[in-house]
Amino acid sequence: MRSFSDFDPAAVTIWFFSVIGIAMFSGHPLLIGISLAGALLLFLVFNGTKHLSSHLFFLLMFAVLTVVNPLISHNGATVLLVINDRPFTLEALLYGANSAAMIVGVIYWFRSFTQIMTSEKILCVTGAFSPKLALVLSMALRTVPMLVHRAEQVSSTQKAMGLYSDDNIIDDIRGRSRVFSIVSMWALENGIITADSMSARGYGSGRRTQLRRFRFTVSDAVFTLVTLALLAVTAAASALDSLSYTFYPHISITSEGVLGLCGAAAYGVLVLLPVIIETEVSLRWKYLRSKI
Amino acid sequence: MEILAVEDLTFTYPRCSEPAVKDVSFSLEKGELAVLCGASGSGKTTLLRMLKRELTPLGERTGRIIFRGNDIAELDERTSAARIGFVMQQPDQQIVTDKVWHELAFGLENLGVPQNEIARRIAETASCFGIEEWYDRNTEELSGGQKQLLNLAAVLVMQPDILILDEPTAQLDPIAAADFISVLRRLNQDMSLTMIVAEHRLEEVVPVCDRLMIMENGALTANGSPEQVIPTLRGQGTLLGMPAAARLYTELEDGGSCPLTVRDGRSYVESTYRCEVTELPAENYTVPDLPALTLSNVWFRYDRHSRDIIKGLELSVGVGEIFCILGGNGSGKTTALSTAAGLLKPYKGTIRVFGKKLGDYRNRSLYRECLALLPQDIQTTFLHNSVREELDECGADLSALPFDISPLLDKHPYDLSGGEQQLAALAKVFAAKPRLLLLDEPTKSLDAEAKAGMTAVLRSLKASGITAVIVTHDPEFAADCADRCAMLFGGQIVSVGTPIEFFSASSFYTTAVSRMTRGYYNGAVTVAQAAELCRANGRKESLL
Repeated sequence: MRSFSDFDPAAVTIWFFSVIGIAMFSGHPLLIGISLAGALLLFLVFNGTKHLSSHLFFLLMFAVLTVVNPLISHNGATVLLVINDRPFTLEALLYGANSAAMIVGVIYWFRSFTQIMTSEKILCVTGAFSPKLALVLSMALRTVPMLVHRAEQVSSTQKAMGLYSDDNIIDDIRGRSRVFSIVSMWALENGIITADSMSARGYGSGRRTQLRRFRFTVSDAVFTLVTLALLAVTAAASALDSLSYTFYPHISITSEGVLGLCGAAAYGVLVLLPVIIETEVSLRWKYLRSKI
Repeated sequence: MEILAVEDLTFTYPRCSEPAVKDVSFSLEKGELAVLCGASGSGKTTLLRMLKRELTPLGERTGRIIFRGNDIAELDERTSAARIGFVMQQPDQQIVTDKVWHELAFGLENLGVPQNEIARRIAETASCFGIEEWYDRNTEELSGGQKQLLNLAAVLVMQPDILILDEPTAQLDPIAAADFISVLRRLNQDMSLTMIVAEHRLEEVVPVCDRLMIMENGALTANGSPEQVIPTLRGQGTLLGMPAAARLYTELEDGGSCPLTVRDGRSYVESTYRCEVTELPAENYTVPDLPALTLSNVWFRYDRHSRDIIKGLELSVGVGEIFCILGGNGSGKTTALSTAAGLLKPYKGTIRVFGKKLGDYRNRSLYRECLALLPQDIQTTFLHNSVREELDECGADLSALPFDISPLLDKHPYDLSGGEQQLAALAKVFAAKPRLLLLDEPTKSLDAEAKAGMTAVLRSLKASGITAVIVTHDPEFAADCADRCAMLFGGQIVSVGTPIEFFSASSFYTTAVSRMTRGYYNGAVTVAQAAELCRANGRKESLL
C-alpha cells in the first residue's frame, strides 16, 4: 500500500515529464483541457482546501492571458467587436483561452511536482547520473537558507547596536550592502571549515557511492511501464494527425477514428493515474482500519 | 596496546620565528580518554590537527607521529580518513549536506562503501545516538547540541580507532555540553574508544578522563592523571576551568587527595573542616530606586497561530545593576531580551527603558546613547576586515573604554579568540554610549580565564554607572558577577534574588559549590566564599 508520493522518485519523475510534455507540445484543446482538469484535481487531492487564495491568482492569470491574445492577434472569421478599428475575434479569444489553459495547467503540474519531489528525491534522481552533482546540489540546498538566516541575524544585530542611525532609505541600502559583503566573507570563511570537514571524512579519496533511500520495486516498474505505454498511444495519435486542430480562420477540432479517441482516452487515464492510486490507497486503508 | 605515539614533534608555521608546537611527546593506549587543555593560542588546535593527516597545516615539521605502528604520513588514504576521526569546534560549519541521514552517509559514500552496508551502519549509529527522531530532518533545523552530536555520529559511522575532538562543546550551552560529554564518556566506557579532547569547559570532562595534558606556549608542561596534575596548577589561569571541588582543594592547600566531583568535594570538605561558622556575614543589598528597564505584563509569540513564548513577563531592573536572567533552553530568555531591545514587538504589555515607553523612542533614538544589545553569535557584530576599521566606522573612543584592546586593532575580527571578540564587540557598542547593555550569553565560547576577565569588565562598567542585563546559562558566571539573578521558566520570571539567596534556594539549577556545601555551610555559592568559610572554621582536630 503505497501512496503516490512514496513511489520511486525516478518513476514519479518519468510520469510528471510525460504528462507535462504532452500538455506543452500537443497544443490540442482536448488534451489541454484534460491536463488542466487533471492538474487541478491532483493539486486538490494533495492539498485539500489549503492555498485557496493562490487559486484566485491563477484564475486572474488565466483571464488576463486569454484576453491578451485577441488584443494582439486579429485573425479569425467571427468578429465580436471592433476596438480602435481593429477586430476582436472569437477565434483569437478561444486561442488565447487554449494557451492560457496550457500555461496554467503546466504551472499546476509543477506546483505538485515541487511538493511531491522533495529535495532528497531530486538528489536521488540526479545521483543516478552523477553522485558528485548530487552532492553539489545537496550542499547548495543547505547553504542558501544558511546565508539568508545569517544575513537576517547580522542586520538585526547592527540595528540593535545603533549602527543604522536613521530610518532613511539611503542609510538602509548602505547598511544592507555592508551586510551582504560581510556575509559573503563569512561564507568563504565557513567554506574552509566545511572543506576541512569533507577531507577529514575522506572526500576525494576514491570513487563515491550514493546511498539511495528509495528502492525501485515491482510496483514502480509496473507504474512506469503503464505510464510509458499510455504516453506512446497519445504521442502516436498526436504525431499521426489523428488529433488535429485549427483555430484560424474557423475553429475545427477533430479526433479522428479509433486512434484519436484512444489517444485522448489514454491521456485521460495517464493524468488520472495518481488520483486512482490515492483513491485505491485510501479505500484500502478504510477497509483495513475497519478491522482494527 | 598503543594506538598513537607522538615523538619529539615540533611544528613551525611559515613566516613564524617561534614554533607553534615544541618538542611534544606522548602516547595513548587503547581505550584511554585524554584531555588536553591550555589557554587560547597555546597550540592545542595545531597539535590536534597534526594528528589527522588531512588537516595538517602547512609548515615545517620535525618528529614523528605513529598510528598503530605506522607513521601517519605512510597510511593509505582510506585508513587515514576512516580510522582517525576528527570533530571540530563549529557545529554548523562542519555539516556538509542538507539532510541528517545524508550527513551520516557522507563519509561512507566517500569511501565507496556498498549501499546496503551504508544503510546498516547508519541505522545502527542513528539508533545508538537517539538520532532516529530527527533522522529525516533538515540539518539546518537542528539545535546546536543536536548538530554537534550529528557531527560526532557522522565520524563514528566510519568506525575510527581514535577520536580527536577540538573543543567540541565550545559553542554549546552548558546543558547540551554536559550531554555531549556524557556521550563521549559512554563511548569511552562501552566501546573502549580512544579519545583525545581539547577542552576549556573542564567541569564535566576532567572527572571522567584518564589523563590530563596541559599545553603552554606550544610545549606540553604536564601529562598525568588529573589528581596529580591539578595541584601543580596553583596560580595558573588553566586552573580556573577545573572542577569546583579541585579548585577549592587547590585554593586551600591543605593536603589530602584532590577531589574532582561534587560528591568527592563534599566528603572532602565534611571530613577535613569543622562546622562552627556556618555562614558568612550577610551583605545587605538594596535594589536601586530608579528603574532602568521595566517589563510589565509582556506577552509575545512569533506567529498568530503559534504558542506564547513570553507569558505575562514582569521584570524590573534598577539603574546600575548587573542583572542575570538564567533559564534552560527554550525558556524564552533570548526572546525576552530581544523584546526588551525593541527587535521583537510584544502583542500585549508595556516595556519602559529609563521610564520612557519603547514606542516613544522615535527614529531609532533608542539605540543612541540609551540601549545596546550584544547577540549570542558575537561574530554578527563585525562588518569589516580589521578591528580598527570596525571601530573607526562607528567612531569609538578607545581611551574611554574600561579595558585595553589596542593589541587587537590590526587583526581580523574572525581571527580573535572568543573573549577577544566579546571585547571588540563591546568596544564597538560603546561608541553609541549606551547606558543599558543587554548581553545574550556573553560567556558562550569563552574559556575560564576570559570569563573572569568578562566579570572584571562588567564590574568596571557598573562602576561607571552602566546597567547590564545578561541572559546566561551559566550559574557559575552569574554567581560571580551578578547583583541579582532571576530564573525564567515557561516565559515568566519564577524567582528573583541576590546570587546567595537565589542559588542557595535552588537545588538543581545552581553552582557546583552550592551543591557541594549545602546542608553543611549556608550560602556559599562561589569557590572564594567556600574557601573563606573553610578557613574560618579551620581543620578538624583529629587530622592535626
